[in-house]
Amino acid sequence: MMTPCTLAINGHKHCVAVEAGDTLLDVIRDKLHLTGTKKGCNVGDCGACTVLIDGQPMNSCLLLAVEFEGKAITTVEGFAKSGKLAPIQKAFVHEGAIQCGYCTPGMIMSATALLNENPDPSADEIKEALAGNLCRCTGYAGILRAVQRCNNYRSDGTCAEKDRAAIGNCPDEVGSPRGATDDETASKCKEPRRLKPAAQGSKYDSVGVSIPRVDAADKVTGRALYTGDVSLPNMIHGKILGSSVAHGRIKQIDTSKAKALEGVIAVITGADVPDTMYGVSPARYDEHVLAKEKVRHVGEPVAAVAAVDEKTAEKALSLIEVDYEELPAVFDPVEALAQGAPQLHDRYERNINTHVDQDFGDVEKAFAESYRVREETFVGNHVYQSPLEPHAAIATWDHDGTLVLYSSTQVPHYVQYMMAHVLHMPLGRIRVIRPTVGGGFGGKAATSPLDLCSAILSKKTGRPVKMVYSREDMFHYGRGRHKQHMKFKLGVDRDGRIKAFDSEIYLDGGAYSSFGVATAYYAGSVVPTLYHIPNYRYNGYRVVTNKPACGAMRGHGVPQPRFAFECLLTMIADDLGIDPIEIRRRNAMTPNTITVNEMDIGSCEFLATLDAACEKSGWNEKYGKLPRGKGIGVGSGGFVSGAGYCIYRGQVQLSHEKGREPFQKRPIFPHANAIVKISEDGMAAVLLIGAAEIGQGSDTVLTQMCAESLGIPASRVRIRSEDSDISPLDLGAYSSRITLMGGHAVSRAAEDVVNKMRPYAANMLGCNEADVVARGGRMFPTRAVDDAHRAAGFSPRGPATGEQPVDESLFVLWAEVARKYFNDNGPLVGTGCYKPPEGLGGDYKGATVGTSPAYSFGTSVCELSVDLETGKVKIDRFTDYHDCGTPINPRAVHGQVEGAIVMGAGETIMEEVQFDEKGQILNPNLHGYLMMTIKDAPEIFSGIVDSYEPRGPFGAKEIGEGSTLPVLGAVAHAIANATGTWIKDLPITPEKILKAVREKQKPSAISDQPSPVSGERPVT
Amino acid sequence: MHLPDIELHEATTLEEAAAAKSRYAPDARLLAGGTDLLVDLKAGRVSVGHLVSVNRIDALRGVSETDGSLRIGALTTITQLGCSSIVRERFSPILDATGKMAAPQIRNVATVGGNIACAVPCADLPPILTAMHASVALWSPKGERSVPLEAFFVDARQTVLRDDEVLTRVLVPKPPPGFGAAYARFALRDGNAIAVAAVAAGLTLGRDNTVRSARIVLGAVAPIPKVVEAARTVLVGKRADEEAFSAAAVAAMEAAEPISDVRGSADFRREVVGVMTRRALATACRRAQENAA
Repeated sequence: MMTPCTLAINGHKHCVAVEAGDTLLDVIRDKLHLTGTKKGCNVGDCGACTVLIDGQPMNSCLLLAVEFEGKAITTVEGFAKSGKLAPIQKAFVHEGAIQCGYCTPGMIMSATALLNENPDPSADEIKEALAGNLCRCTGYAGILRAVQRCNNYRSDGTCAEKDRAAIGNCPDEVGSPRGATDDETASKCKEPRRLKPAAQGSKYDSVGVSIPRVDAADKVTGRALYTGDVSLPNMIHGKILGSSVAHGRIKQIDTSKAKALEGVIAVITGADVPDTMYGVSPARYDEHVLAKEKVRHVGEPVAAVAAVDEKTAEKALSLIEVDYEELPAVFDPVEALAQGAPQLHDRYERNINTHVDQDFGDVEKAFAESYRVREETFVGNHVYQSPLEPHAAIATWDHDGTLVLYSSTQVPHYVQYMMAHVLHMPLGRIRVIRPTVGGGFGGKAATSPLDLCSAILSKKTGRPVKMVYSREDMFHYGRGRHKQHMKFKLGVDRDGRIKAFDSEIYLDGGAYSSFGVATAYYAGSVVPTLYHIPNYRYNGYRVVTNKPACGAMRGHGVPQPRFAFECLLTMIADDLGIDPIEIRRRNAMTPNTITVNEMDIGSCEFLATLDAACEKSGWNEKYGKLPRGKGIGVGSGGFVSGAGYCIYRGQVQLSHEKGREPFQKRPIFPHANAIVKISEDGMAAVLLIGAAEIGQGSDTVLTQMCAESLGIPASRVRIRSEDSDISPLDLGAYSSRITLMGGHAVSRAAEDVVNKMRPYAANMLGCNEADVVARGGRMFPTRAVDDAHRAAGFSPRGPATGEQPVDESLFVLWAEVARKYFNDNGPLVGTGCYKPPEGLGGDYKGATVGTSPAYSFGTSVCELSVDLETGKVKIDRFTDYHDCGTPINPRAVHGQVEGAIVMGAGETIMEEVQFDEKGQILNPNLHGYLMMTIKDAPEIFSGIVDSYEPRGPFGAKEIGEGSTLPVLGAVAHAIANATGTWIKDLPITPEKILKAVREKQKPSAISDQPSPVSGERPVT
Repeated sequence: MHLPDIELHEATTLEEAAAAKSRYAPDARLLAGGTDLLVDLKAGRVSVGHLVSVNRIDALRGVSETDGSLRIGALTTITQLGCSSIVRERFSPILDATGKMAAPQIRNVATVGGNIACAVPCADLPPILTAMHASVALWSPKGERSVPLEAFFVDARQTVLRDDEVLTRVLVPKPPPGFGAAYARFALRDGNAIAVAAVAAGLTLGRDNTVRSARIVLGAVAPIPKVVEAARTVLVGKRADEEAFSAAAVAAMEAAEPISDVRGSADFRREVVGVMTRRALATACRRAQENAA
């Protein structure tokens, strides 16, 4: 029953009809459309919905709206006054406290409540106040910094002009790229970075500068719209019913009661969806939109409902009766391989979904020649991405038959491709809009049942259909990290140089393929990119089990093998009495190398990361010298800067129209494409590229690169990346590809613009076209011009800036040249595209996986404390150095590193999706699935070593995923160092530590004694 | 998930609350902070058609001191309890629990009465309050009764509360000279984490550092906050030292009835109970010595 309720929100009274059970969150979001308050978990675990009630932070998802009449309620929309950001908002913008932004409004609420009571809080007080606000992106480092420095943003000093951030999202309004504030803050917290000059010997204006994110102001004000925040006229709401059994045959589904429920508009089951199967890897499309005959894991979609509101849809789900014939289920990959094990799919014999068999060099001979060979078994964990923003989709059909899909996705193009495949319609008739995305980490890198069901339900009902996953739904949808069972064998010579490496891995794939084919290959292919491994064998088996499908998570397939390899390398170093950093130096990858599995390494400053991490962390003073319970450990890692090949073969085309195409060792179409369109007055550039900003900062770095190539300030570039109708194809945010690939495309599109302007500028300046340089919003000649032009009135209008070797006395305004071009030609538009180099990779099966134009490298040193009585680990400190090529935005690089460290460290010690013996997830929520809070996060030093990648735009490579890879091994090593015993299965929980410590009779520091773990097989 | 359809009754007096609750029992629950109840309702673990809100009964709020005893109104939030100068100055062991519980957003809403009356096995306040010999006042139209906390809990999520009763306040008696208490809890992360095993200890020391009285209460490792009787026997009359604490730890481990779940196995929990017992006793002992002076 609806009753009127008057809520005082942000100083205004809102009278709204509510039901007794409506939470304040739902009323604020759904009825008052104040969507800045986010819904992350709905049960008080994440803090994204925090609002202030009479000044106190509370989770609005746990408050009944009717009980808060008469209270002063503040939401994030109430902060910026008259278009001016509040000091805490400015601090978040300028201190790098924002990535995906989904936690940001809640963080700002909690921080504000603290600062109102305690204007000068200590770090511990800040951490206590923010402990109820989870962040998955930033590692909390920027957030802590922002709260600590909030007072700096209170005065009207240098920050005052930044207030304009509240009324415009262009970065220059919140601080010039070359502004003193940015340089100053950057150097305060991070070491100054020396830039290697580019080939032309030029320096950059917009590249290499830590400008604030271009979307920061929208995210601190709550104005950024995520898919779940979007509301269309006449929109209805859908929900999906998941299977209650892990393995079964659907005998019957009775939807009559659900259909009869008031407010239900449509109910669909497997019978109503296309027979076409879908997935990610084209060779293994094995999922139906809704299960047709069998279900293979708990939560597998079996039916979907559309209703007038989400609550009614939820009720309808409970009225759908599904009759299952339950089948025996299997949850462990090794058991699934056994004779007589339940078979999930007819097509995967012995449940083997993918088998990789790679053999390079002569492994057996090299082992025989090794001085020491050590074999160990490691087990990873089932980790889930847990982005703060739940997956969401809204579908609607235009009258001309175009499908418009709003999706919280990392890969708009692949969603478009897969929707076209399943719905049998041309890609061109599908418009994918990617609103602001609240984190992905690989969990949103595939077409989801929400995308497909919303489209089908919308078609059926003729109304826009919105579907949002609950936190529990997200866990059931899965696509998290594969749990890998790894048997590794490493042989080295007397000096610790690697002779051979043999790995056998069983990947627990869950019920479907998803990305898994690639995952199985990645688990092997990126191992030899870090060290010289002359002989290498890899046997991988991806096995299907009755659990949600696993997919690609940050570092795709590589983090667990990397963890295991790093541990094994350190063990063998200990065996030989070689320092663990030294053994890495001796084996470190070197520039311009083709690896044994034919990966083409270009730039490589891995050694520099080892040396810098060693020195900065004080490694030599600490390793082997710490008391028991204190540990230090090292790990290294690196990743691809974009996959060398597209996920599907052939050209962009409806896949039903083309047969299975033979593989060609070259990209068929450009993987990144950009258009730069100059406004008619020449004052603004609009950058169009379909690259998915998911919180990682791609919109910002692409804007910077575009500005650099145009020769105008970044403040004059606006990026539009969210709409496939507007922006050309980019393959998306996966394999850490956007900086390199998208960067090239935007840079080339910008150069195209400049080239079109050259004749006009040259004519005005009286110089050769080739001698025109665009910089800082002006165009200069690089050589002296004739006196006639000088006499014609080309005199400086104010002092020239920049250090370009040009005749600074002469310039024309960039905008003036653009206007001249427009007068004669109409639109000034440039296009650019990027194809990865041809011929990447070898000629063996699976040789494409792991290929990339460039590779990143990094080293982390972890310091921690272990409570030896309880096994509890406190990660104290991380020192990390990365080779990411030229950092386009150093602060964004550090943000990726800080986030990866906290995510990776949590993954190592506390994160794990747990299942019971019936395949039910035991912890599908954020109080059972533990991610680090700000109180758990370590202090982090992130450094960037000098590097220049010739294949990257401005010398840039990746950072997003490579930053995760060193972390797990470093933490595991530090725990071994603190406890004297290696724990080889993840996560390394207090319980496992306590057991290991107990079992070890006379423990001593791991570095004091050789080979504390069994399994050694010295060879003489 | 959304909340199911419910009818909300906003009581302004205890009489109204009791009447509404008994009228709709067992299809009704009292609503205070709601931080447990609303989660349970959303998840379908609790299914009732009526919520009786007591949040408008202002008499149930506030912390006061009478003759040295601490009176905590049932609607006092965890934050308010932790900020109370009476608690901070004279009942500070309670801060061991209030400071570690959940996160600020929850502590600003969750109430003392709810933390007790929900009878969730891992609740943080019941162990320390029991160790400090607290009792609860249960009001009904027929009158009020006082129940010692150790007699309040029946089973997980079950208490002696009758349908027409409302828990109105908690009374913590004035600590005698030489009394000290402490609460040690173990959780899997530092922020916003549920207790995996927790131990509250309260003891009174004589001038010679012998234990005059002792109470060990376990949290999160039994269906109810469990008073370890054997620990009292082991400790009383002994010198308060490591040896005695270790013996008490063994008694506590034996008394624990932990389950295995996502947060840890029963064996692990039992082991942590021993560690937490020693730590709680050591802190309680130090505080007792300070209070003796």
